Amino acid sequence: MTQALFGLLLRAAVVLAGTALATFALLWNAPGDPALAITIARYHSVVSPEIIDKIRVEAGLNAGFWTAFQSWIGPILQGDFGNSSVSGRPVLPELAAAAFYTVPLALAGLAIGLVLSIPLAIFAAKRPGSWIDRGAVAIASLGAAIPAYWLGLLLILLFAVNLAWLPAMGARTPAHAILPALTLGLGVAASLTRIIRSGILEARGQPFLPAFRRRGVSDKAIGRDHIAPHAAIPVVTVFGLELAFLLEGAVMVEVIFARPGLGSFLVSAIEARDFPKVQAVVLLAALLFVIVNLLIDLFYRMIDPRIGERDA
Amino acid sequence: MTLSVTGLSASRSGRTILHPTSLNIETGERIGLVGASGSGKSTLGNALVDDLRARGQSVAHVPQSPDEALDPLRSLNFHWAETERALGLAADPVRRQGIFKALRIDGGDLRKRPWGWSRGMQQRFVIAMALMGAPDLLVLDEPTSALDPVVAARTMDLLDEHLSGGRTAMLLITHDLGLAARRVDRLIVMDDGKIAEDAPTQTLLNAPQTPAARSLSAHRNWLSLPC
Amino acid sequence: MLKLEYVSVTRGKTATLHDVSLTLAPAKTLAVVGESGAGKSTLLAAVLGLVRLSRGSVTWMDDAVHRCHPALVMQEPRAAFNPALSLRRSVGEPLKARKLTLDKARLERLCRGLELPPDLLDRRPSEVSIGQAQRVGILRALIAAPALVLFDEPLSALDAVTQKHTARLISELQVEEKFAALIVTHDLGYAAAHSDEIAVLRSGRIEEIATAEAFIERPQTDYGRTLRDAAFSLGALEGAA
Repeated sequence: MTQALFGLLLRAAVVLAGTALATFALLWNAPGDPALAITIARYHSVVSPEIIDKIRVEAGLNAGFWTAFQSWIGPILQGDFGNSSVSGRPVLPELAAAAFYTVPLALAGLAIGLVLSIPLAIFAAKRPGSWIDRGAVAIASLGAAIPAYWLGLLLILLFAVNLAWLPAMGARTPAHAILPALTLGLGVAASLTRIIRSGILEARGQPFLPAFRRRGVSDKAIGRDHIAPHAAIPVVTVFGLELAFLLEGAVMVEVIFARPGLGSFLVSAIEARDFPKVQAVVLLAALLFVIVNLLIDLFYRMIDPRIGERDA
Repeated sequence: MTLSVTGLSASRSGRTILHPTSLNIETGERIGLVGASGSGKSTLGNALVDDLRARGQSVAHVPQSPDEALDPLRSLNFHWAETERALGLAADPVRRQGIFKALRIDGGDLRKRPWGWSRGMQQRFVIAMALMGAPDLLVLDEPTSALDPVVAARTMDLLDEHLSGGRTAMLLITHDLGLAARRVDRLIVMDDGKIAEDAPTQTLLNAPQTPAARSLSAHRNWLSLPC
Repeated sequence: MLKLEYVSVTRGKTATLHDVSLTLAPAKTLAVVGESGAGKSTLLAAVLGLVRLSRGSVTWMDDAVHRCHPALVMQEPRAAFNPALSLRRSVGEPLKARKLTLDKARLERLCRGLELPPDLLDRRPSEVSIGQAQRVGILRALIAAPALVLFDEPLSALDAVTQKHTARLISELQVEEKFAALIVTHDLGYAAAHSDEIAVLRSGRIEEIATAEAFIERPQTDYGRTLRDAAFSLGALEGAA
């Protein structure tokens, strides 16, 4: 087990190192002169070439790729993501302030998604092929096909404009978070419903279940103790992907509802070519993914230790 | 107590795979249910178990392979406790130890999941669960076909010993008349979803009446086949 | 003559075969019996040259075995065929591989010998019974007239009556075709009834080799006796002296 854990951690470290390298390589090779972009963003006017060169040296852009990479990664490993190349202020506090808006939104979206999808999936899987099941699948497919910006606008139109129950834009009160969270949650619910439903159906086809019924084990106990763990395996597998969907959706929803958060943070950073900010977002997202996948792997090994043994 | 079922039938995708069938089983009786593959013997076994269970009779079933009886994600302890609960029995380590000793699996670690045991031990664990409630009827569906011969023979011998003199009747489902003939007093031959013949073992071996029974009887031994 | 001399195969740290020596003369049958994990499949793989030998040699007529184009009959009849192809095309594969042309008369003779109706070959694997599929598997193995045929548990997927019927058809064809047969099986009854010699394999080693009659009558090792007694107890040796 310790050996397996070591392997998992090693894999995580390799993924993180690769992400860091790829991120830096992309920025290094981005079209246009980054030094010029920084200068324009900072001074809002065309300035002399000397100042541009000074900024180039300041940002370590004139050395070779590896030298620049090393001087870039060193402070990051110590938790210092540097200063914004536009404002000159440290990146991390600004990022934390943005995440303060986004993380609760994402969690609320996830919670709404789970609360809606689990009962719907169980209900649909009760009688596969019935009109209830087909209806649930159709709603879920529709939900997955509708883009978040359209669904968001639709919700705004209904609840903010026509019914005037909820505020549409901004983030002043908790009520402002309801529509964005709902937009996000409905999208999550749509994809989770389909995955959980097919997970349950697959688990119900396990060859040993008739024997449990013949032994007199109640349907309720079979569902709880045997179908649920088997259904959980594929659901957990796609959970990592679901997380990507959640982050992407949160960024989009923030833009639609004009909320502060990682969405506006990232968009403004990209527009200003504010490298340190973009890097910080990418690297922290990668770290989050690696941690979640590590937890998923450990969860797997807990419910089905054969998975770990097959790897070995 | 005589167990009896009447009018059991089954169909799959519109095709009748078991024609209406009735059957009486006496207390402690040993019956072999034999037939070619696809003759409907497993279907009859399943229908029999389900029907008797639905009428509140005490009956247990052992499927062909432990993969069809055990959840790979759950420990053997869990399986045992779950079956005790299902039968409404209080947890009884003494009873458990008695059955495990009889089937020679008392050395196994019950905290493991099924695949932590050999297949032979898994199959004997499944048989042990079937014996737990001292059922009136034990239906064994090809109980040894997934096992190596040495383990298979040992399992059948241990089971024979455990059941001998008791009230539990046994229905042994197998395609192998040679195997069944050594273990049972009465043979039922299935053919095309119907009972073709039902007779005491020696009668059926020596004077089979139907083509299905004649074919099984003629091919029951490797070393004395007809030319 | 198939000759295995001191064949050893090592996988990781454990030896799956250890100093296995066997001979099989043309037109004769050797059955290798043993339990799961004894190394039966590795033995077949070694004869087919599918695993590296850590020691020893496998030869046919003092030459590499693959030169005699040995054929293999597999355990799971349906899984042994490409489900998308007609059986006729699958049966033709060994000929295509060796750029031989089909001898129609030979095909017809083998089909008759295996009791396969002529139009059966135009179906797909899923459209025939398991017993029929296994007979087509045997047809495919024999179509290119191999001198050596390996049988990997050829009957274990079949029911008792079909097993005995199929075994008889194989033996009858062997008289005509004169191939050497190496049968790997856990069924001592089958081995006793249809082989000239029986080799007992246990944990990668040969425990004993004897003629079928001698082995059934008097095994020379404790393990051989255990195997024989188990087969008796399961009714597989009924009718033996």
